[in-house]
Amino acid sequence: MSRHSAINRFGRSTNPAFSRGFDSASYSTTLDEKMTLDGAVNKTGILLALCFSGAFIGWNIPTLIWPAAIVGFILALVTIFRNPSKARSTAPLYALAQGIFLGGITLMYESMFDGIAIQAIGLTFGILASLLMCYKSGLIKPTENFKLMVVAGIGGIFLLYLVSFIMGFFGSGISLLSPTNGSLMSIGLSIGIVCFASLSLVLDFDFIEEGAEKGMPKYMEWYGAFSLMVTLIWLYLEILRLIAKMRSR
Amino acid sequence: MNTIIFGALAIMSLFIFFNLGKVKASRKQLDRTNRINRFGNKESNNIIEGESIEIKNEDKK
Repeated sequence: MSRHSAINRFGRSTNPAFSRGFDSASYSTTLDEKMTLDGAVNKTGILLALCFSGAFIGWNIPTLIWPAAIVGFILALVTIFRNPSKARSTAPLYALAQGIFLGGITLMYESMFDGIAIQAIGLTFGILASLLMCYKSGLIKPTENFKLMVVAGIGGIFLLYLVSFIMGFFGSGISLLSPTNGSLMSIGLSIGIVCFASLSLVLDFDFIEEGAEKGMPKYMEWYGAFSLMVTLIWLYLEILRLIAKMRSR
Repeated sequence: MNTIIFGALAIMSLFIFFNLGKVKASRKQLDRTNRINRFGNKESNNIIEGESIEIKNEDKK
């Protein structure tokens, strides 16, 4: 029996448990609570502003960088694995903590290479804007194979980071990752990492676009903005390292 | 000079991001069959094609 014939035969239910969920008032409320492109972009703006505020603090109080890095890392894990719906409260704190970390790290690079910070900031936002244009125009089309390639590449890069991190406990490390290593191999590796970080921006754009299109819940705006911030922060750090390597030659 | 060029690049890029980000992607991007299926967007097809036959009690017998 089709839905319409059921309504014709039995009429609409007066049961409050059913009417509460399907009456027009509650439906219009849920429509207002859906994810939009505007919302996600505005929230990214808020997170960027918080990140810059944090960077100002980190630049002036460099001793805060490691506590901020650890707090930011924990907040990122909580947002990703524990509860994405809490991104509304965890994402701003993450942006602030990572901003403090970035401010301190940038100060360290800036003391070694004059003017590196503005170059890295310009290139990071330049890549963001150009890839957004490529994505919106349909020049780059993220598919399942594209996603597989990016995720596999990022997995390999993080394995490399992990090995380097563990080696660091024994007083050594992977010299290719060192910012002062100006060899062609090291610069090539950094360019590869920057490429993968840039391509993962495309996945973030597609996530936000699809979420808005499918009418996902409002908190996904914060989650989309958060994922964009994670990628932007990673991209900025890798560009800093790449410029440092190129200047060390 | 370094600061002016890269500063202008950053500001221009942010301007593009905040304006273009709010615009829906092109049809070339959205109307594709090979898009990433993140939110289970393949709608279940409940329509069964074919002719319907009314079954009467007399037919059952």
